[in-house]
Amino acid sequence: MFAQFFGSFLLHKGLVTAKDLTQAFEEKKNTRMRLGVLAINAGLMTSEQVEHVNVTQQSVDKRFGDLCVELGYLTDSDVERLLSEQPTDYLLLGQTLVNSGVMSNSDFEKAIIEYKDENSLSNDDISGNQSDKLSKLISGFYHFDTAANARIYTEFTTLLFKDIIRFIGDDFTPLGSSIIHELEAPHIVKQSITGAYNSITCVAADTAEYMAFAERFAKEEFTEVDDFVDATVGEFMNVNNGLFTVNESNEHGIELQLDPQEIHNDEKIVFENPAFLIPVSFSFGEVNFVISNG
Amino acid sequence: MGLENVKVMIADDSMFARKKLTNFIATLGVAEVLEASDGEEAVEKYKANKPHVVFMDIVMPKKTGIEAVKEIVDFDPEARVIMASSVGTQNHLRDAIMAGANDFIQKPISNDQIKKILENTAKELKL
Repeated sequence: MFAQFFGSFLLHKGLVTAKDLTQAFEEKKNTRMRLGVLAINAGLMTSEQVEHVNVTQQSVDKRFGDLCVELGYLTDSDVERLLSEQPTDYLLLGQTLVNSGVMSNSDFEKAIIEYKDENSLSNDDISGNQSDKLSKLISGFYHFDTAANARIYTEFTTLLFKDIIRFIGDDFTPLGSSIIHELEAPHIVKQSITGAYNSITCVAADTAEYMAFAERFAKEEFTEVDDFVDATVGEFMNVNNGLFTVNESNEHGIELQLDPQEIHNDEKIVFENPAFLIPVSFSFGEVNFVISNG
Repeated sequence: MGLENVKVMIADDSMFARKKLTNFIATLGVAEVLEASDGEEAVEKYKANKPHVVFMDIVMPKKTGIEAVKEIVDFDPEARVIMASSVGTQNHLRDAIMAGANDFIQKPISNDQIKKILENTAKELKL
């Protein structure tokens, strides 16, 4: 999931466009990591050194890694270790953007250093999907630490993104959140969580995006929004919220129930308490998620 | 012995959950798949059709899945009811088992889980 937040960071900094990101997410599954980007990410080489090796390689018939060792930038064991590591998602995204010329090695170097620094992340932190680091990243990204229920919002959103990756796809970019008091959209699915505390959750989108989201979850094509499409989006929400209540019960001993989902087409929902609007930009368009104290 | 003799019922208020499950189970060549969209309908259809196995959601209108299981098991102590819910908390699990459910599976349900349950049903009931 770090790839999506790294993508959002690049977008926010103006280093890439939304179109660049959409394309990169589509292409990254075919991307092979190159030693230069791996070495920059590990802090073993600068982008200037990588460029130097690239230029040198044009005049000698040697492999990139061998040249790095010859020029004293890397040791044999560095090369071996870097090449044996499983490429992480955010690095594949970075490599794809470098390959397509959207970013230079130097842009990537500056961006990755700044990103890790801003979020206090080490290489080890983002080499997997460590839940505590993800939660920290998400809490900081959305400024949940200022909300009364920061833990609940953070854990809900972390799970939401995991479920989006699991059921919808990883080709999305989280956009900055905002506080709202009402929500109006052509299609809204709402589900209340009740019990030890009350929350309201929503998925909202325009028609094309709503159908595309449902198509991804159902793994079938739709031509118009009907009851089945509503039920499909409703089931995504139900599954996500169900897993959330299980986590709350197992990890915190908090018992919650789910109300049946409500469909609100072309209606306005007014929240009693301020709600967090969490927009997510997919390759097919934008879908909004909402969480609020009920 | 085989799935061709197994009669299944799916009780879920979600049209999506019912259709997905029904479509998959139909590919396994079972005898019949019945559907119920609330707890009340589930009890009525069970009494009328006595399916060999029931997949039952918990949060449903009119009558919850837990209430429906109790009534079904009162009517037929040999009923095989598998709770299939998105809310697999310890409390729900305990309530379901106390009500007489045989098992509990957390949504999203995998096709492999369903196939295994149906094969076990056919085997144990010598269908």
